Amino acid sequence: MNGPVIHDANTLPVDDNVNPYAFSVDLDGQWFLQKGKMIAYYGRIEFHGIGHGYLDALIRTSFHSPMHAADWVVAEGRGKMLLADRSFDVNSYDLEDGNLTVRSGNLLAFQPSLSLKQSIIPGFLTLIGTGKFVAASNGPVVFAEPPIRVAPQALVGWADCPSPCHHYDHQYLRGVLGGVRAWTGFGGTSGEEHQFEFVGAGTVLLQSTEQLMEEIPTGETPEQDGVPHASPHNQPSMPRMPGQLGDLQRRFGL
Amino acid sequence: MPFRLLNSRMVEARVVPGQRMFSQRGAMLAYKGDVSFTPSITGGQGGVMGMIGRRIANEATPLMTVEGDGTVMFGHGGHHIHVIELNGETLYVEADRLLAFDGSLQQGTMFMGSQGGVMGMVRGQVTGQGLFTTTLKGKGDVAVMAHGGFIELPITPQRPVHVDPQAYVAHRGDVRNKLSTAIGWREMIGRGSGEAFQLELSGQGTVYVQASEEKL
Repeated sequence: MNGPVIHDANTLPVDDNVNPYAFSVDLDGQWFLQKGKMIAYYGRIEFHGIGHGYLDALIRTSFHSPMHAADWVVAEGRGKMLLADRSFDVNSYDLEDGNLTVRSGNLLAFQPSLSLKQSIIPGFLTLIGTGKFVAASNGPVVFAEPPIRVAPQALVGWADCPSPCHHYDHQYLRGVLGGVRAWTGFGGTSGEEHQFEFVGAGTVLLQSTEQLMEEIPTGETPEQDGVPHASPHNQPSMPRMPGQLGDLQRRFGL
Repeated sequence: MPFRLLNSRMVEARVVPGQRMFSQRGAMLAYKGDVSFTPSITGGQGGVMGMIGRRIANEATPLMTVEGDGTVMFGHGGHHIHVIELNGETLYVEADRLLAFDGSLQQGTMFMGSQGGVMGMVRGQVTGQGLFTTTLKGKGDVAVMAHGGFIELPITPQRPVHVDPQAYVAHRGDVRNKLSTAIGWREMIGRGSGEAFQLELSGQGTVYVQASEEKL
């Protein structure tokens, strides 16, 4: 180990990790970022909130839901831009005419060639198309192939495979001893009674700990019959407003 | 070798029929195949007597039994993981640092006072480990957790190793440990170096140290 590596605008990696916790984007055009994830940049880059002026069109082409676009920023220009998130591990992923669903809080940034949609599963976002995106995780990401059952807190996302279902495992609560256990609570629980089960072809992304990253609101779904609703738990009634008016601001075009 | 490190914080374990494995409750991240997780009422081996012993010794960390046929991925709290392979030696480790271990290993508790007498007990207090520690003996693998990376230091009869009690994780082999103190007048007036207590390990074996002074 020699001291810290000193980078300048030319030696910063091109669309690659600087270290496990920071990612360098070689910007020429547009990228979409979650608010507050840019830590430094070289060059001429402007950051605009989505939803006003000519950027309003992006809601139609890239975000598809006006409700959560307020949490995103467009970085526009030329230069190198560094992204990081609370020293979590950061990784970039390439999608080629594919789809990937990721926990809303883990997605940091994506190329405009991808389109971002709300997943049917509350708290998750789906990226569709071809392009690169950057996501954070608590600990390095491990890729696994279905069939697999995953502890809910360890799940970061999944690509190409069908959406997961719930799996409950209470095998040890059967029989006489199990009955006593279930009835008295004696012996405690294993903490592993509930998993997400994945089947089919695809890839499942796991993080290395069971500590979740904070979710960001993915927006409300229309109140309609047949549309699964997010529970009030993961949909705060107030949109997140880091130092500004959030959704209100967007609505008034400020 | 049932354990395989996937990265510094995640380990994959192969579970085969007829062989049990113990792991800390809630540390399973994912699994493939047909595997069941049963909370171990007795918290490990040795039946009810073993449980009582561990309860008294305050070494009763919530464990679960992992059985079946498949692979399981373990990780906990973002801590670094190290796999220690035992070939008949004894591993001394705090129970809450155990992520998972082979069911073939013999689990026991050891009274700190039996090594180093009163100073051993003082040591337990200073390191926050209490008066007892867990032992694992036999042939098998243990996945141990630490805050920060692992450093493995060999101990030979000629070269004892001094370790900061807070950075100490585990040790194995034929090792005697004692607490050495360097308390002088500076410590008394609160101008100490902060390194008044050190753990001196001598004999033949290995000590595992974490790159942090934080407890788990």
